[in-house]
Amino acid sequence: MTAASLPLDSHGNVDQLYIETRELRLQGFLLFLVSDCVLFASFIFAYLYLRNSGQGWPPPGIQRLDVAFAAWNSVVLFGSGATMHYALENFKHGNFMRYMWFLLATIVLGAGFLGGQAYEYTHLIYGEHVTWWGSGIFGASFFTLTGMHGMHVFIGVCYLTVLVLQSAAGVYTRGKFFGITAGTLYWHFVDVIWVVLFSIFYLL
Amino acid sequence: MAVAAVSAGGIADHIHPEPQGFVRRYVFSLDHKIIGIQYLITAFVFFMLAGLLAEAIRTQLLNPNGGFVAADTYNEIYSIHGSTMVWLVIIPMLTGGFGNLVFPLQIGARDVAFPWLNMLSFWIFPVSGLMLFSSFLMGAPTAGWMEYPPVSLQGAAGTSMWAAAIFLVGVSSTMTGLNFLVTILKMRAPGMTFTRMPLFVWGQFATAPLLMIATTALAAALAALFINRVFGVPFFDPTKGGSPVMWQHMFWFYSHPAVYIMILPAFGIISEVLPTFARKPIFGYKLIAFSSMAIALTGFMVWAHHMFTSGLAPFLQLPFMIITFVIGVPTGIKIFSWTATLWGGKIHYNTAMLFAIGFVGLFTIGGITGIFLAAIPYDLHVHGTYFIVAHLHYVLVGGSLMGVFAGMYYWFPKMSGRVLNETLGKLHFWLFFIGFNLTFLPMHWLGIEGMPREVATYDPQFAFLNQFASYASYLMTFAILIFFVNVIWSIRNGKRSGPNPWGARTLEWQIPSPPNYYNFKHVPTVYGLPYDFSQPLPYKGLDEELTDAPPVAAGAH
Repeated sequence: MTAASLPLDSHGNVDQLYIETRELRLQGFLLFLVSDCVLFASFIFAYLYLRNSGQGWPPPGIQRLDVAFAAWNSVVLFGSGATMHYALENFKHGNFMRYMWFLLATIVLGAGFLGGQAYEYTHLIYGEHVTWWGSGIFGASFFTLTGMHGMHVFIGVCYLTVLVLQSAAGVYTRGKFFGITAGTLYWHFVDVIWVVLFSIFYLL
Repeated sequence: MAVAAVSAGGIADHIHPEPQGFVRRYVFSLDHKIIGIQYLITAFVFFMLAGLLAEAIRTQLLNPNGGFVAADTYNEIYSIHGSTMVWLVIIPMLTGGFGNLVFPLQIGARDVAFPWLNMLSFWIFPVSGLMLFSSFLMGAPTAGWMEYPPVSLQGAAGTSMWAAAIFLVGVSSTMTGLNFLVTILKMRAPGMTFTRMPLFVWGQFATAPLLMIATTALAAALAALFINRVFGVPFFDPTKGGSPVMWQHMFWFYSHPAVYIMILPAFGIISEVLPTFARKPIFGYKLIAFSSMAIALTGFMVWAHHMFTSGLAPFLQLPFMIITFVIGVPTGIKIFSWTATLWGGKIHYNTAMLFAIGFVGLFTIGGITGIFLAAIPYDLHVHGTYFIVAHLHYVLVGGSLMGVFAGMYYWFPKMSGRVLNETLGKLHFWLFFIGFNLTFLPMHWLGIEGMPREVATYDPQFAFLNQFASYASYLMTFAILIFFVNVIWSIRNGKRSGPNPWGARTLEWQIPSPPNYYNFKHVPTVYGLPYDFSQPLPYKGLDEELTDAPPVAAGAH
């Protein structure tokens, strides 16, 4: 461990507490993601259960979802996963400005995904009159699961915005950046969930 | 350079300055020992409330036509009784209560991994309890603790409150599980390998992932029920394509692991008490430890055995039946290991030991009726009858609650520095043991003869056994009153215990009672199992001076 990569607190002293709790935080955060995963898994189970107990899918009177638009929107989200990866790598290698630009790009792409989802929702609700409560199990499962995912993306965008502000204020140093690691893990987690949701709602 | 000090000290070696002032010390405390006691006190308050509800149930059933309360009120009473006992009494006592209080001491840690999260977990718990009881004001749920739709969809507004309250207490459980898991994985004292951990720690280690994973699944089910009731999103509404049976899947996917959440820590308590008072190494240490993990794992694969009457396809029923039988194997391994621990031991019949031995007997009865119920033909016959009530009370009262009492008598000196009164304790045990069996044993017969559970009135042919059970239940309640009197009396007047009144060998007994804020002056090195009574203690370095790690401001985690 070189002196340059030691975690320092705001007074420039070596941050003992951080060294001692870094592993705990990482493990705790991973376990949090596991239990968040179970939340999605339960609702995915509910969706598949309802889907297979009814009269075919989509239920009578409801059109198939528009795959093309959602596919482009997915590309936006996966692109944000790539930029987040480069943000973390650049931070680790000390390229602070590149890190900031990649982080900002991630935020923009994440917000773009949310915008796309908002457009899709509007189209479904006003164009095809599919609602959360009024369209049987289709509306129930689609809006609950994608809404939960969208909420996760929204929380992620807020978190990354905080990261930008904190980074600008110099909170993170080369030896002390668990906040950025956690943000990256969370963002990739949200991406992976979307792979599953996209497959079971649009492709299946 | 400070790096050297860090690598020498390690994670476990941090000493925080003790907070001054009543609020930081006893109310919003970060200390796992205080939080454990807070959990226990709160859970015992809810235990009294739910116990009163239980007596209301038994008083109603004194008479075949009921008459003590209206039928709707009766439905509310047993629903809240069950919900409270499961989520606000047994689970918080065994995980948040004894878990917090004991296992960080047993692994030689100075606190849990995330003390602030621990405080948050605790404070969510009484709030959700108040929410649950406030549902009485707006029409409490009436479909039992399982809240099956469609009845739970038709219930009054209190059912939504119920769902929100249980969701919250679930969040608290999830955080506790996460916290405990990280603590056990990362914060054991040097030399405390997995196969040197005390069995209570193994119990918590098997429970923590269940708390984390299963409770989140319950959260999903409750959220779905909530939005179905409040926004009309038809997850469980069959008229709009939803499925009430899906609730049963989602609910039992949590609630079957939950029965192991309620029993695995109690197994841990028993595995500490039995060798201590038999003065003999525990028989089959590794078998007991690994069978807990086996139970936790297979516990996720058997949920549909609660649903044999719910129209499950026969090719699905069979594997669920077989895996349920298989769970009997690790459980049987434990029972035999405990019995073998007693065999040839020099048994001290303290109250804690009486409760532990009572546990082994009563839990065996509850476990064997569980094997009955796993058999599909038998289950079809007694499903929804008092046989189920008898079975679950033998497991949860004869098992978990006896474990809680054993733990209370065993660790009360560690909490307070005083021993609970033995005379009152033995009176408590015998009255409770006799009252419990007289209350719940007759229910097996009632169930086989077909008396349905969760109904406010019953056929007059069942009158004698019901009245018998009701009078016996008053005896049980009286025994619990003795326990409360004992606790309150002993806090002030009990015999001073010293650090180790039982001659026990786990780490928590090698430090003062109650322990200092920082638990260990010096984190010890562990050399072996804590159960070899003929050997010297397997700890080194306990009496060295305070570690000279620099203090960090409290709450910095």
